Amino acid sequence: MSILSIRDLKVDYATQEGTVQAVDGVSLDVDEGQQVGLIGESGCGKTTLLKAIVQVLPRNGRITAGKIMFKGIDMLQLSKAEMRQLRWREIATIPQASMDSLNPVQRVGSQLMKLLRVRGGYDKRAARRRAADLFDLVGLDTERLMHYPHEFSGGMKQRAVIAMALALEPSLLIADEPVTALDVIVQHQILEVLRELEQELNLTVMLITHDISVVAQVCDSVAVMYAGRIVEQAAAQPFFHAPAHPYSLGLQQAFPNLARPRDELVSIEGYPPDLREPPSGCRFAERCPFVQDSCHDIDPRLELVGDNRLAACLRSGEMETLRLQAEDPALWQQVEVAQYFVDQPLPPAPSPKHQGGGDALAGLIEPTASPLESAEEAAYGGISKSPPNALGGDLEGGRVVAPLLEMRDVSKRFKIGGGLAGLLRGDQEQTVYAVNNISFTLRRGESLGLAGESGCGKSTTGKLLVKLLDASDGEILFDGADLAGMEQDDLLNFRRRSQLMFQNPFEALNPRFTLYRSLTEPLIIHGWKDEEARLQRVIETLDRVNLRPAEVFLDKYPHQLSGGQLQRVVLARALVLHPDFLVADEPVSMLDVSVRAGILNTTRRLARELGLATVYISHDLSLLQYTCDRIAIMYLGEIVEIGPSSEVINNPQHPYTKALIAAVPVPDPTIENPPLRIQEGIPRPTEQFIGCPFAQRCPDVMEACIDIRPPAITDEYSHMAQCHLYGQHRDSPKLKPGAEVTSGNTR
Amino acid sequence: MQQEAMVREGPPGKTTAQFRQGSALRQLWETNLEVFQRDKMALFGLCIFAVFALVALLAPLIAPNDPLTPLKNADGDWIKDALPYWLAEPGEDEAEGYTNEFFLGTTNIGRDIFSQLIHGSRSALLVGFSAAAAVAVIGTIVGLLAGYYGGWVDTVLMRAADVAFGIPFIPFIIVIAAFFDPSIWNVVLAMAVLLWRDTGRVIRSQVLVIKEQAFVSAARVSGASDLRIIFVYIAPSILPLSFLYGSFAIAWAILTEASVSFLGFSDPNTISWGFMLQDAFLSLALTRGAFYWIIPPGLCIMLTVMAGFFIGRGYEEVLFPRLRRM
Repeated sequence: MSILSIRDLKVDYATQEGTVQAVDGVSLDVDEGQQVGLIGESGCGKTTLLKAIVQVLPRNGRITAGKIMFKGIDMLQLSKAEMRQLRWREIATIPQASMDSLNPVQRVGSQLMKLLRVRGGYDKRAARRRAADLFDLVGLDTERLMHYPHEFSGGMKQRAVIAMALALEPSLLIADEPVTALDVIVQHQILEVLRELEQELNLTVMLITHDISVVAQVCDSVAVMYAGRIVEQAAAQPFFHAPAHPYSLGLQQAFPNLARPRDELVSIEGYPPDLREPPSGCRFAERCPFVQDSCHDIDPRLELVGDNRLAACLRSGEMETLRLQAEDPALWQQVEVAQYFVDQPLPPAPSPKHQGGGDALAGLIEPTASPLESAEEAAYGGISKSPPNALGGDLEGGRVVAPLLEMRDVSKRFKIGGGLAGLLRGDQEQTVYAVNNISFTLRRGESLGLAGESGCGKSTTGKLLVKLLDASDGEILFDGADLAGMEQDDLLNFRRRSQLMFQNPFEALNPRFTLYRSLTEPLIIHGWKDEEARLQRVIETLDRVNLRPAEVFLDKYPHQLSGGQLQRVVLARALVLHPDFLVADEPVSMLDVSVRAGILNTTRRLARELGLATVYISHDLSLLQYTCDRIAIMYLGEIVEIGPSSEVINNPQHPYTKALIAAVPVPDPTIENPPLRIQEGIPRPTEQFIGCPFAQRCPDVMEACIDIRPPAITDEYSHMAQCHLYGQHRDSPKLKPGAEVTSGNTR
Repeated sequence: MQQEAMVREGPPGKTTAQFRQGSALRQLWETNLEVFQRDKMALFGLCIFAVFALVALLAPLIAPNDPLTPLKNADGDWIKDALPYWLAEPGEDEAEGYTNEFFLGTTNIGRDIFSQLIHGSRSALLVGFSAAAAVAVIGTIVGLLAGYYGGWVDTVLMRAADVAFGIPFIPFIIVIAAFFDPSIWNVVLAMAVLLWRDTGRVIRSQVLVIKEQAFVSAARVSGASDLRIIFVYIAPSILPLSFLYGSFAIAWAILTEASVSFLGFSDPNTISWGFMLQDAFLSLALTRGAFYWIIPPGLCIMLTVMAGFFIGRGYEEVLFPRLRRM
């Protein structure tokens, strides 16, 4: 019996630019005990649908048509007071980023007990008992009830929020992106909690996420939303094995999958349609590689296409063949996409208009270096100039090529709590060992991935590599020269040759600069005096990152672009000087799934074309496996394992690497993640360990691990790991038979 | 990432020539223009300043008499306490031996009040604008340096700000007035020495925020020098804040000058509105009901101060749009 039944729901937002039909005719049934995953890229109406169900739409939102029946009650007819009765008791929601909504000045336990007493009618003693039970249920120590939110880690807060949502035994739990922004290991554990609760309490769950692998792990049925509508609905197993809508096909292929590495990910080009004037035909038509003429005219209805499966596609009859064709990323790239801009007047606030200072001062502050030498220019002249093509040979043949970059026992320490203020306050000065004695080399054209939980020092390493920070100890050699000693011309030359790509494209560009100005800045700094030449180079670079026609972008401001376009601009700025070396710090973590693959593919292609050495920093191992030749796993500032990507992923030697790999959700419900054997939470890196830094969390810890530093053992594939139990761990890699272990891997 | 508001753009509206032009000054001008276009109150404030500036500029032409010279009648006696002509009994002036043409009457020693009022705008604006400029410039530079360089630069500058916060303002001016000759410049000096503290603090905090943004790191990675980062990347973002504090400083300076004058620490040879009030107060104009002596300078002070705050408010709205909804 369906507990929640939505019929033809329509939700409008009134905006200054017109009415946006955020949800447009959605029908959905959720059965008791079912776990429905709602997926789709941002802006497709997932969250609006959730808010409409519990009727907490923002003021400009309105339900214009449809019905929402909950246990036979028409929720839209309920008064506000009745609705309030329903929320939390019957329908509990975990809104986005709710773990930050805990009251910081109240103990978590009192917040939970207050809820129980006020909303649930518990008396004091019963509330206390119930709170302890709830904490137990979500895997939190009951002593934690007395703690304040700041004493909780992110994962613990999320558990507490889940406990609160479940406090009044709701019949339906709606969770909006419950694991986004959490570290892989924590994410894994939260998903595990959810899965356990589903089984123990026979919970009905509606889970909203953009990450299909999360859905694969915890849901038994899936609904895909696109542009305000549901385009496909199916049980999880058939959905993941054979999606029945082109959009679902694209989404599925856009995800890097550890179990089935692909040569090239699919990128769904283009953007969702404008929901103020939705197209009359199929809404996905513009981005669909299988589009027919009729698609633009006929609006496909959500129809039964098989056993309990619904899809809205005119060509659903041919889905078998389409599915095969969809495997080819080239097909998806044929889609011709018009560039979109946010057509808004510039915002009133500190508007980009007064970007000032620039041009007037450009003449004033002369760059210290001479213009680039023509010889150097000539070397980069041809776009298609192939990189040092011995790349594959290098790795396999073991020929020695002088490394472009070499880290030799590099450490970075930060002092905190010191200084005059600390002295007066009586704080002890503490040293944070952010990076500890790491060494690696990087050849021209090679790509290295740095992975680890947040706080493991990977971003600090990235900053060291581009000299945003200076190493406390050790040497970083770039083309044989130590970064520490660089000054003036040498430094400027290094700055030209190494670049950084940022995580958040919305912050990485000066909001007051037009894109032309942002892109021409590096050229001005490096002494390009000729305006025409600069313009030429900027246009050429924009073209290269697939922002075409480039001219259209020149006078745009960052806020007029979508995240994907912006990240391409960020990439263009990094490449405009034709560097030799690029550090990409979480280049796609802030972007929508559909555009992620596009950015990754472009970056990877250009790195190859330009012979760029690249360092990718990411917490996402599947992404690194896709983009990198080698992967280094960092823990507490140390590299605990490093080697060729396929080796590290398929034959991990360090227990930490194993845990990380086990924690990555796989977009396939048949592959179940093994239970993690380590606890969440990296200890603060304020002490130095005599033994293995991972000993505290290691499931196989021995006495020796605490006192004796494990040796670095390197095998014949130059795969290094630091572990006393090298090669003797009990657990095998998680990849199960379904996934052949291909030695060729991604490159 | 919200793509709901995306629209397809028609043919690119601007020509490529446009994005390349645009000097710093022009863009700053555009912000300022925006402030006054958006906010009618700010425009009103600007008009008040404009009127006063015009009056100050043309003071000798507008004022019928010298503001400091006591006027004498035909017999050589001072024309003391003459009423404004629109209040006076007809014929009274002739009996006293002069023609009453005094719009606001005369003081107890026979100075023309209206002329004083006109000339008072000069010192008010002089003090207001120079103090505001000093506060804004010093505060901005201190804020930029402290925020950007951090470390000991920050420590030194911010401890200096703490000291400045600890010094009581009016007594400080009185002490200055005791050291130097009484002059309206004492007020400017005192404000320059003390009042940069607020501007400096606020701008420093803003710089700390901007400095951490990725686009500043990006500039550094592409090789931009410190000066370039400060002036090309950071300064444009905080200039409107300097204007905000500058416009408030105008109001403060005029108020302070009035208070200091009222307390009697001003130059007796420079007419200012505060000085007029003190003069009226000491000569018991209040008890005689000489409202025409007291109200006009008071009104002028109020108007200029209001104008300063109106303009400041305009900048605030543009800078912090969230305020508008409250």
